[in-house]
Amino acid sequence: MTPHQEHLNHHHLDYHHLGLMMGLEIHQQLEGKKLFCNCPTQIRRDKPHFEVRRRLRISAGEMGAVDVAAEHEQKKSKYFLYQGYQDTTCLLELDEQPPGKVNPDSLRVAIQVATLLNCKIVDVIQFMRKTVIDGSNTSGFQRTALIGTNGHITVNHKKIGIATVCLEEDACQAIERDKERDVYNLSRLGIPLIEIATTPEIHMPEECKEAALKIGMILRSVEGLKRGIGSIRQDVNISIAGGARTEVKGFQDVQSIPTVVKYEIDRQKKMLEQGEVIERTVRKAEEDGTTTFLRPMPGAARMYPETDVAFVYPILTDVTHIELLEEKAEKLQKLGLGKDLANAVTKMGKADKVVELVQRYKNVKASFIAETFVSTPTTIKRKEKIDVEPTDAQFEEIIAALDQGKIAKDSVYNLLCDLGRKGTMNFDKYMLLSDETINHELEAILKESQGLAFNAILGKAMGKLKGKADAQKVIELLKQLTS
Amino acid sequence: MGESNKINKICERIRIVTDHETLEGIKLPSKEKGVIFIKLDSGYNVGVKEETIKRIDITGQLHPDAGDEGETGSSQDVKHNPKLPTIAILHTGGTIASKVDYRTGGVIARFAPEELLAMFPELSKICSITSRLLSNMFSEDMRFAHYKIMAHAIASEIQQGVKGIILTHGTDTLHYTAAALSFMLENLSVPVLLVGAQRSSDRGSSDAGSNLIAAAHFIAKTDFRGVAICMHKNPSDKQCVILPATKTRKMHTSRRDAFQAINTKPYAFVDYEKGTIEKLAPFPLPSEKKLAVREHFEETVGIITCHPNMFPEAFAYYRKENYKGLVIEGTGLGQAPVGVPNKECAIHNQILEEIRKLVESGCVVVMVSQCIYGRVHMHVYSNAIDLLKVGVIPAEDMTTETAFIKLAWLLGNYPVEQARKLFEQNLRGEISERTPYEEHFAPDFS
Repeated sequence: MTPHQEHLNHHHLDYHHLGLMMGLEIHQQLEGKKLFCNCPTQIRRDKPHFEVRRRLRISAGEMGAVDVAAEHEQKKSKYFLYQGYQDTTCLLELDEQPPGKVNPDSLRVAIQVATLLNCKIVDVIQFMRKTVIDGSNTSGFQRTALIGTNGHITVNHKKIGIATVCLEEDACQAIERDKERDVYNLSRLGIPLIEIATTPEIHMPEECKEAALKIGMILRSVEGLKRGIGSIRQDVNISIAGGARTEVKGFQDVQSIPTVVKYEIDRQKKMLEQGEVIERTVRKAEEDGTTTFLRPMPGAARMYPETDVAFVYPILTDVTHIELLEEKAEKLQKLGLGKDLANAVTKMGKADKVVELVQRYKNVKASFIAETFVSTPTTIKRKEKIDVEPTDAQFEEIIAALDQGKIAKDSVYNLLCDLGRKGTMNFDKYMLLSDETINHELEAILKESQGLAFNAILGKAMGKLKGKADAQKVIELLKQLTS
Repeated sequence: MGESNKINKICERIRIVTDHETLEGIKLPSKEKGVIFIKLDSGYNVGVKEETIKRIDITGQLHPDAGDEGETGSSQDVKHNPKLPTIAILHTGGTIASKVDYRTGGVIARFAPEELLAMFPELSKICSITSRLLSNMFSEDMRFAHYKIMAHAIASEIQQGVKGIILTHGTDTLHYTAAALSFMLENLSVPVLLVGAQRSSDRGSSDAGSNLIAAAHFIAKTDFRGVAICMHKNPSDKQCVILPATKTRKMHTSRRDAFQAINTKPYAFVDYEKGTIEKLAPFPLPSEKKLAVREHFEETVGIITCHPNMFPEAFAYYRKENYKGLVIEGTGLGQAPVGVPNKECAIHNQILEEIRKLVESGCVVVMVSQCIYGRVHMHVYSNAIDLLKVGVIPAEDMTTETAFIKLAWLLGNYPVEQARKLFEQNLRGEISERTPYEEHFAPDFS
């Protein structure tokens, strides 16, 4: 056991002892239009076209006890500047008009995701207003609806519950904050967001990462989701016995979760050891793995109905069977691909195409087809400094030609180079020669190679016929001619 | 506008057992047939189809907060600071202050002075307030009878010696009420400001509070007397605008700055945070005479909008139903389809004939323009000239809404002949003497 492993093992025991409970909250943005208007889901940082100044006032008497988070923001008594764009943000983002009908595409995707997470879909969906008065929502609340409940995922043979799947509006992005005011960009506000919350059944930092990866894989299996930086955000709720729930948000990536979580547990453990009380807080994951205070934890139920949006009766017939990315990768492995290659193809989103080509073109090896998709273009870019992005149809043209024996395997590389350089592929250039023509060529070579050894002649022949004849065939025919 | 999430007096905690799961939370009033709504402990409301429910257990009871509804007609004073002017706040709807009960999701309107002060502590530095709940209704439901209640409530507050009055009102017909009160309250010696909100007061972003505070500043710090409207100047929370009661219109369905002065300038801008006032136009002149409430309205007054392809029956209705007044919202300079330039327009003769008969029946018919901005000029084109000849009265640069209110009020309080004469005279600033040049006649959206 290395010292590192020993260290981890030591921690393993600790976590159990500490009564560590963790839950994940994952937010995934959707593509297309916004949740309650027809604005595009385009996040912008260019020069805004207009700016509106606002204040938010705390709603009166929050059930007797004033909400902690709300009070915290109210104390700041800031004003807010909202920056928007004439062509991509509308009166809704400005809280200057009521919401339209809920975007049916977002609804369908949310139901699809909840179904893949084995949730029970709510019979009648009601959008709620979740009070948010830090200024990140112009209205003072976030529109959110519960879509599915009581689901689960399986991580390393362990069932982890999915407590809820919600569909909600994303918030504004903070551009600048100072004592007096916060500046927000409106472009992100209203982007449909799926929120997935697990039950607090995660007991190990590594497990937390694996659960996040699993949910991420399930999400990527569905079309209609935004990809790229910021499109998925993970929050982790952490508590240890004797402490209080702490929400950590802003992870750089999924891989950093265990490190941050370990630091946070250590921090809480030390606080408890020193007799300090742990407050329920929201903390930010820093790049160095530590966490810093963001704000007090908002109170639990700060919701009331969004009366401007009608009830939604989910249409479950719209939910189609979706093959998960991991299922696709397994399928590719069964076709003869190595695990890494299968995962690479899946990650590229080409799993279905590769399966289709493998089944259609039996004379070409599955791994060759997969590699042509995954690595040939990148190799060409590296070696030849040529950018080539073949369409699926162009890939298929090549594989078909190979399958029918029209071109040699070696020519695939050259065809793709040509495509990158000229934008077209000339198959004639690489067309394999007929046996008759090859014989003709070989006879000519034999004539000028009097007295040379077989291997030397073969070398000459290979050089001349490269890319125009299959090597095995050249050997065969040459043998026949010399015998 | 306001929203009505009525809550149960007593809420039950229930447990619903369905084929798939068990849900626990607070039972909500059912809003859809065959569906039970429950507020889960997470705060979310969900609907459960009755057909899937196996069992419902009541697991507890929950009592909502005491004192949720203000009592109609009750008047309460909060510690009166004699150094500050007193403002009476009269509520008619479009709640200025609301409380959300997050347990049930219910929104409860707040009307009592101490509740208003708790929500808008800024007010306590500007004035002392009294408040009264006259009604709590959508403004589109308003009828002339409500104007009477409001006018008398205002008069009685003035007798109490208040510095001014704030009337909270739903926004849809706020400008009709403003015009009505202008005409009803003769020789008004105090400011009466109508205040509404384009965003309901249960949300943090509501414009209700800032409009209310701006109105209070304006009342406390100026010598304005008369009826005016106080709403947002633009979509930002900073400045509010004081608009003339008889020359303002709701020009947008949803924006905070929906109310715009038509054919005139606003009186002032008020910075609700700083309490500063920027005067833009002269205030109405004071009157030495005693306040008089002229409370009557003629009930049978209507509005008809001109459009292509009209039929005479539309006008005939008002004669058959014995209407005493009709506002024609004509096109352009004050036109109606009464010309017969070709055979397709043959029926237009009958439209003119119907209007003539209507006037002859004793109905006062007036003409405004659907252009909204500008003045009617009925002597330019032959159609309007024909309308003048049959006795249609041009409404100058009055808005449709003000012309309607003025006509109904005149017919309610004066003999017909006098009403016809007074209609053409400027009584409350509803007719501008001149039409001055402005670079932008409508709000400048450039």
